Amino acid sequence: MSVLPFPSFLDDVKEKGVKRAILEGVNEVTERLTAGMNLQDIREALRGEPPSRKPNPRLTPHADGFWLHMRPSYFNREVTGLYPSFRLGWLSTYFVFFETITGIFLMIYYTPSPEVAYENMLTILSNVPMGQLMRDLHRLGAEAMVLIVTLHMVRTFMTASYKKPRQFTWATGVILLAATLFLSFSGYLLPWDQLALWAVTIGASMAEAVPPEIVGTNINLLLRGGPEIGANGLLRFYLLHVLAVPAILFIFTGVHYYKVIIHAHSLPPKAENIGEDTAKRVPLDKRVYFIPDVLTSEMMWIGVSTLVLIILCTWFYHAPLESHADPQVTPIGTTAPWYFLWIQGALKLGDKVFWGVIFPGIVTTLLVIMPYLETGVSRRYAHRRLVLSIGFFLISFVVVLSYMGLPEFGVKVAAEAEVLDALNKTPAHNQMGRLLPVPYDQLVVGVYTTREVDADDENADEAVAAFNQELGENGVGEQLLSLLRDRDKLNVQSLAFNTVPADAPELRAVLEEFDDLLEQYQRDLPNATGVIIVTQNQDNLKRVDSAIIWTPTAESLGVEGDSAENLPPYQIQAEHIFIHENSQYFAAPGA
Amino acid sequence: MFQRLLFERIEHRVVVGTIAFLGIMILLGWLAINEGARMRAFEERFLARSTEGGARLLASNCSECHGMDGRGLSGIAPALNSPHFFGFDFLAPVNAEIAQLNAEREAEGTTSARIAEIDARLVELDTQRNQLLAQMQTAIDRGYNPEQPSRLEQLGWGASRTAFVFTTLVHGRPTSVSYWPRPMPAWAQAGGGPLRTDQLNDLVNYILNFDKGSNWTLDDLLAVNQFPKIPGEGGVAAPENAAGTDVQAIVAAITEAPGDPVEGQAIYNDTAVGCAGCHAGGIVGPPTEGTYTRVVEIRLQDPALQGYTPEQYLVESIVDPHVYLVPSYGPVMPDYFGERLAVEDIADLVAFLESQDQPIQ
Repeated sequence: MSVLPFPSFLDDVKEKGVKRAILEGVNEVTERLTAGMNLQDIREALRGEPPSRKPNPRLTPHADGFWLHMRPSYFNREVTGLYPSFRLGWLSTYFVFFETITGIFLMIYYTPSPEVAYENMLTILSNVPMGQLMRDLHRLGAEAMVLIVTLHMVRTFMTASYKKPRQFTWATGVILLAATLFLSFSGYLLPWDQLALWAVTIGASMAEAVPPEIVGTNINLLLRGGPEIGANGLLRFYLLHVLAVPAILFIFTGVHYYKVIIHAHSLPPKAENIGEDTAKRVPLDKRVYFIPDVLTSEMMWIGVSTLVLIILCTWFYHAPLESHADPQVTPIGTTAPWYFLWIQGALKLGDKVFWGVIFPGIVTTLLVIMPYLETGVSRRYAHRRLVLSIGFFLISFVVVLSYMGLPEFGVKVAAEAEVLDALNKTPAHNQMGRLLPVPYDQLVVGVYTTREVDADDENADEAVAAFNQELGENGVGEQLLSLLRDRDKLNVQSLAFNTVPADAPELRAVLEEFDDLLEQYQRDLPNATGVIIVTQNQDNLKRVDSAIIWTPTAESLGVEGDSAENLPPYQIQAEHIFIHENSQYFAAPGA
Repeated sequence: MFQRLLFERIEHRVVVGTIAFLGIMILLGWLAINEGARMRAFEERFLARSTEGGARLLASNCSECHGMDGRGLSGIAPALNSPHFFGFDFLAPVNAEIAQLNAEREAEGTTSARIAEIDARLVELDTQRNQLLAQMQTAIDRGYNPEQPSRLEQLGWGASRTAFVFTTLVHGRPTSVSYWPRPMPAWAQAGGGPLRTDQLNDLVNYILNFDKGSNWTLDDLLAVNQFPKIPGEGGVAAPENAAGTDVQAIVAAITEAPGDPVEGQAIYNDTAVGCAGCHAGGIVGPPTEGTYTRVVEIRLQDPALQGYTPEQYLVESIVDPHVYLVPSYGPVMPDYFGERLAVEDIADLVAFLESQDQPIQ
């Protein structure tokens, strides 16, 4: 007999036998863990059968359990399919958890200090099993989350779900959007590579434009932790990224969802009469119970979404990691993250204060107060033509502004720098110089010129020989050699041009592209010749110098009068890279 | 249709969800199996790209002194791209065989026939060795010592070559001013230089990539423009008339032929001698300014120095510095100045110190 006031497990075994006692024990534990559903109930639910006992055990987890206390026990059939929500709100929540889990994994291997942050990234990539996958997932998840949250907002706007009584839900949603954007943005800095440093420098300098000056300067100082982004700035961004903003996000996710449930998911506009809000009253025949239908659906979506993300990160996407952050080197074509490109584009329109601060401020304010501006009772599309038109206009405007934010738009870079960058660019923004992916063994040591490409195949030798002679006669050869030797420290004694060997088609292709580029920039680089010099630097390391020689005209230099008389006879610009046998630069898909 | 197929029937949802989770597990398992290879590939790729970065840095920062090909510049800085730097011993195979044959020759039970054979072979090897040395002659003329083929052994460096290159980059060679016209500066930001740690690592990777392992050739050796010098060599050579440590004798000599304070000041500030390094400012040793005033007004009042003349005190402080220590300073001054300075140098130094009669601060 047990000393306990109730029969012990051993008593059960004696009375009912081992098998039955264990089964009953498991059953009881299950019922406690699920706050009301025993094995039989779960089995019935998963088989799609009606509950076999009363009161309905599928409702008790909502009433008695913590995990489901905020989830409604049934939904309207109208809001459970893909339409009208496209599951975007649910997906946003999914990403909140997804980012938290992958983020915690990365946190283990990360120290927020400029001394080691970049090294940590390399360790994650080279020495942490599944480290690269986690980083890719976290980064892709972040980008996707920005997209999903934005689409969720657009959808809510389109179906006018923010109308009375859901105005406040919308306002909390705007806060969540802001938190998402800032989370993504603050995460940008953490790898401490060139991409991070410059994207954040651009972003933070927008804060500097806040008027009056003393406020802007100090916001910028507080954010960066100094006049330049350094150790303090990195630590601040890190703390914002892992503590402050997630805290805001979690709290407002709770508030937002609570409001959603209080008012119930809004129905598709056509599902109810104009001016009515029937979401709270779900007719019996339209009820879809959380257990089992919505729950299994959500489990399925977790599986499918995660699988899709892992597939993407296995074959199609790798988080970028550029070279170590260097405040001294500004890469050509620096941009803010893509979701802030519209602000960068707006800045090109004019005044920094208006377009950088006031305009985004107006947009945000407009977003928050929109449900209070659009107060018409009807949610039908036909009755909201003006609002929808304004909405589409704003979306188009932001898309155009985003395009204008790209470096291609309205940023003038010297033509020679542009051409040389196209050949030599270190991998960044999914682009790299054309010379980098040339196979190592096709970089045949030699001195080549685009004159070869200009001439017909049979005349190539002659064209190159003529070029050799030309350089010898006009002294340009000597000048080029001294530039390469003295400024660029290239270890060559003389330059004798030859044609690209037949077994180096990739090198030949680069030379052709070089020639095309020079043709494109004919106006700025008149009469230009490209030069590529490949030398062996170490046994497994080659050096590739590329140079442009051109004859400037008054037009190309943009000068007039006296200075147009005294033009330099030619100009030379050169750049060089090194390529190691094992570097494995591959062109990005689609680049 | 999609909606009906996927969402309306619970068993479809369960099947799709289960397949998705299984897919995740299979994919993760497959990734896990390939992780080792992936990480190795990344490391190799990263090392390659780091080497490229190092090449850029070397071209722009180091080639001015160490040469564009890393073979050093004569009279400026030593080679990095050199078999000596990587410790390749050209004589090793010959030396090893000679040692082995000699051991066999000395061993008990070697027949006389075998000994004759060994002797013949030893003569052959000796010729080979001399031929090799003759081939190296131009390198030997420029300071290469074939008996000491490794730079690290030459310096008594106990750690790895990587660490040697890295620390050299971090601190530079402040002392190299005594044997090169331009001392190597500290390159690390930590040492006040321009380069970050990752850049230093790039440079180390690039410099170590000069190593050809067992493929170094005599041509590589002969192409070296400048071999390193051993620290200490080329510093202050011991003069033939070194002063020694006999204070009384030195004082007598000084009294007979007093020195020149200007000469003395030059010696005092000469980095090769190094007085000013510790005494200027008075952080390591007592300050230069007001030396003579302090000697007369404070030191000689100390009972321990009863009967000393100022000259005697100064001379003793130079050649035998630990006899009397100025309070609050430790016994850190080297005691080799008696061997390194001539009597005339000490006379000049004393004359210079006697000119330091500023009032005490």
